[in-house]
Amino acid sequence: MVQHEVLDRAFAALADATRRDILVRLGDGPATISELAESAGMTLTGIRKHVDVLVDAGLATTEKVGRTRQCRLGAERLDDAMAWISFYQRLWERRLDGLEAYFTLRNGTRNDTHNDTDKGAT
Amino acid sequence: MTEHTGGTAADTTTETLELRASRTLPATPEEVFDAYTDAEQQKIWFSILDEEPGIVEIEADLRVGGRQVAVWGPDRDTLFREEQVFLEIDRPHRLVTESTGSDPSGQTMTTHIVVTFEPVDGGTLMSVVQSGFPTPEIRDFFASQAWVGAFDRIEAYLVRR
Repeated sequence: MVQHEVLDRAFAALADATRRDILVRLGDGPATISELAESAGMTLTGIRKHVDVLVDAGLATTEKVGRTRQCRLGAERLDDAMAWISFYQRLWERRLDGLEAYFTLRNGTRNDTHNDTDKGAT
Repeated sequence: MTEHTGGTAADTTTETLELRASRTLPATPEEVFDAYTDAEQQKIWFSILDEEPGIVEIEADLRVGGRQVAVWGPDRDTLFREEQVFLEIDRPHRLVTESTGSDPSGQTMTTHIVVTFEPVDGGTLMSVVQSGFPTPEIRDFFASQAWVGAFDRIEAYLVRR
């Protein structure tokens, strides 16, 4: 599945400390390749390779501005990763709320009508 | 949500990123285990609090290696899906599954779920621990303060744009 591969690429890109540092730096705002290289203590070529991986994974975007290349955070992909946490949070809330309502309703019905036939004798 | 019944939270203080949820339910562990795993009962409680009728389809094959598929959503164009494969079944104490969730855009994510059912005063404490980001480095990143800080900055950045 293509979408799944994109998310896999994002996680693979995140599995490198230098690239995570770049993302944290970009979280403060856009930066040029030179600025990123300087703060990481790396060569332009070295940092460019990491930025390419991040761009490929959708975690960052670059844009030519004059003679420099400006990098920005592609926050959408990070949101995708975090979206799974909220997907399951909502799912578990739905399940636990539903089960609680189900048993509370059943117990209420049982107390009101003394009708235990569906569960056999108590 | 009340204190004693617990809630859901993304626990970012531990080494791995885990989603934890728990609730005390007014029934025996056997009743809770069966209601949680039986497809017909699931169809009832899964949508019991829905104000608007939507789509809920659930199939369950409760045996090790068997699958449970739940599909739900407000309409046919907006469907969520979760497929669980049963890895360990210990009625009425413990259930371990691998869960693959799919959102309406078609993205998927596979995680590991352990559900336990403990007898307590007032019924059964049902607890869920879900984990499964792909690598330890990713989990560390998500769990780290750097990540939390980064996310704050990302939000701030997006607002500024």
